[in-house]
Amino acid sequence: MKKRITAMIAAAAMACSCFGMAASAEEQVTLRFAWWGGDDRLEATLAVIEAFEAENPNITIEAEYGSSDGYHDKLSTALAGGTAADIVQIDPETMPTYVEINPDYFLSFDEYGFDFSNFDEGFLRTQINGYYDGQQLGIPTGIAGPTLLVNQDLADAIGIDFSQDYDWDDLIEWGKQVREYDDSMYLLSANKSYITTFIFYNYAKQLTGKTLFDVESGELNITEDELTQCFAYIQSLYDNEVIAPASYSANYDGDNLQSDPNWIDGKYVATFAHVSTMNVMMAANEDANYSVGKLPVMADAKDNGWTANCPQIISVTSTCEHPEEAMLFLDYFFNNEESMSTLACTRSVPPTAKAREICEADGTLDSLMMEAADICSAYGGLTPDKYASSQEGKQIITDLVELVGYGEYTPEAAATDALNQLPRLVG
Amino acid sequence: MKKRLFKHYSKRDYKAFIYLMPWLIGLLVLQIYPIVSSLYYSFTDYRIGGTPVWVGLQNYIRLFTEDSEFTKALAVTLRYTVTTVPLKLALALAIAMFLNRNIKGINLIRTVYYIPSLFGGSVAISLLWRVMFQDNGVINAFLGVFGMDPISWLGDKRYALNVICLLEIWQFGSSMVMFLAALKQVPSSLYEAASIDGAGKFTKFRKITFPQITPIIFFTLIMQLITALQAYTSAQVITNGGPLKSTYLLGMKLYAEGFSYFRMGYASAISWIMFLIILIITLFLFATSKKWVHYEDEGDF
Repeated sequence: MKKRITAMIAAAAMACSCFGMAASAEEQVTLRFAWWGGDDRLEATLAVIEAFEAENPNITIEAEYGSSDGYHDKLSTALAGGTAADIVQIDPETMPTYVEINPDYFLSFDEYGFDFSNFDEGFLRTQINGYYDGQQLGIPTGIAGPTLLVNQDLADAIGIDFSQDYDWDDLIEWGKQVREYDDSMYLLSANKSYITTFIFYNYAKQLTGKTLFDVESGELNITEDELTQCFAYIQSLYDNEVIAPASYSANYDGDNLQSDPNWIDGKYVATFAHVSTMNVMMAANEDANYSVGKLPVMADAKDNGWTANCPQIISVTSTCEHPEEAMLFLDYFFNNEESMSTLACTRSVPPTAKAREICEADGTLDSLMMEAADICSAYGGLTPDKYASSQEGKQIITDLVELVGYGEYTPEAAATDALNQLPRLVG
Repeated sequence: MKKRLFKHYSKRDYKAFIYLMPWLIGLLVLQIYPIVSSLYYSFTDYRIGGTPVWVGLQNYIRLFTEDSEFTKALAVTLRYTVTTVPLKLALALAIAMFLNRNIKGINLIRTVYYIPSLFGGSVAISLLWRVMFQDNGVINAFLGVFGMDPISWLGDKRYALNVICLLEIWQFGSSMVMFLAALKQVPSSLYEAASIDGAGKFTKFRKITFPQITPIIFFTLIMQLITALQAYTSAQVITNGGPLKSTYLLGMKLYAEGFSYFRMGYASAISWIMFLIILIITLFLFATSKKWVHYEDEGDF
């Protein structure tokens, strides 16, 4: 009897221990995933989360989504305080600053053996796409970059062809042509932020063949004379009415060009845009027939300037208590075929060839977006350096562009001021 | 010595102390600690997430000798304060006097005047303001009815700050309620006596109403000054500090340095300068208050 009782206790203990192991394997895990974006991205991401949770009932993903406004300000504070979400979406041009402040903010995907077989190595292993000091700290969510969105019917009516190779001076001539055609129209829709991002930086790269800063030495790669030329070109855009006056575009600063009534009324021939958000501009005036054009390159350019990048990086923060589960979710997010189809182009053109094939087959691949990504990828210009592309770097140039636009500064004065201000970005 | 110190407190006193603990902990953790640490950070080179490095007065020296943006932002903030506070108080007092009467539906009218303050400096109302004052907005459409040319309210540095100021002045409701309550406290016997002596409306206001409500005016003035010097939301949303930094307030500069450029040490120095400015102005007002603020009880508590 004693033996039987002992055996029963032993069996019960074993059973308990087995159940205990199962419970451990099925431990409930909750992960926080933070991103910014519009409604389409929200719906698609939530659908992927739901599908993942159905396959992995022990993992719950808490979605933390919102607008891009203030997203990185909040993320910076949360990273410093150790309270950031487990999985975070990051602007690729802001990430270098985070990694510089603390290289341990994000986990290395390589250390967890993440499956990158669907990604093109050449695309993946670049700093702008999350690769730092031999470690993949983030995964690019798509292929993006600059594009020129053209109101094709209007361009045809005026006789402007953006599908050919052209240089910056052609933009000036075409701008004059547009004003002659209709003095309520302009060639380009642009505000000071877009002029900085799309025109100043690329013009400077083409002029010097270098990035604004030498990242290794922290020295400026551009002379006062070259800076003057960059600002002089911007001044000529205003003087020749290629773009609307600075006082007008001030009403639609930042990513607000789509709310300009003149864009909505189809009074611009084209606009520079990000591939990932070009749909927003198209949605603002659905009556127009759009195409994507080539990008301007100066005749004796030392570098093509224009370069493809990714719209966002997704990383796992080092404060994540369940990194294995976070990696499992991101593997589903990037490598699962159903997920590829669901996410489609909600974060720009998908980052893997496989995802692009799937989206093309099911009709969710945006062909114009794909064409825009192909065009900017073909230029292969230099990737911007971390100092110039930092928020402060962009702000310094944007303020000077504004001063030139309002006629408060000559190009020479702007160049001198730039040389005074830019060095403070280093160190 | 120690024994004597503790003898002062009874068991009941300690109980009270325990009840006060949540508030005390909140005060220490959420107020005293941030204040002290921000003072320390203001003397350091501290990037969010990095390690603070002691630099002494360098941040303060840079603010006043190298950073022209800081002095511009300070000037814009002072102009904003000097414009909004007197106009807001004057408007609030005028409306309060208008509403301080017994007519039909007065409570509804008072509520209507208070509505703008309910919105506060919210993002939604700032967005609405931006749309209204855009080149193609409703304000220019209204001016067009009278044959006037459109004005670039948000794109012209001569007007942009005025648009921001107008939003602040429009939110006069809370000051108005304070003044209304103060006006109700003025004894009617004083007005009756003044009427018998043949005083006119302006004399009654100058000799009775104004002196009687000066404590409330003083309080409202201090509170509005502090609010104006710390303003951020409306300028951020409506103009983002532009054009040409004409609406770039000190609060925006502080935010950009701290959260966009990650220079928390430098941002802390700006916040301490803001604090000192507020402190000096408040002390100055307190010093002058003896001459123009009249307390029934001579100001004794």
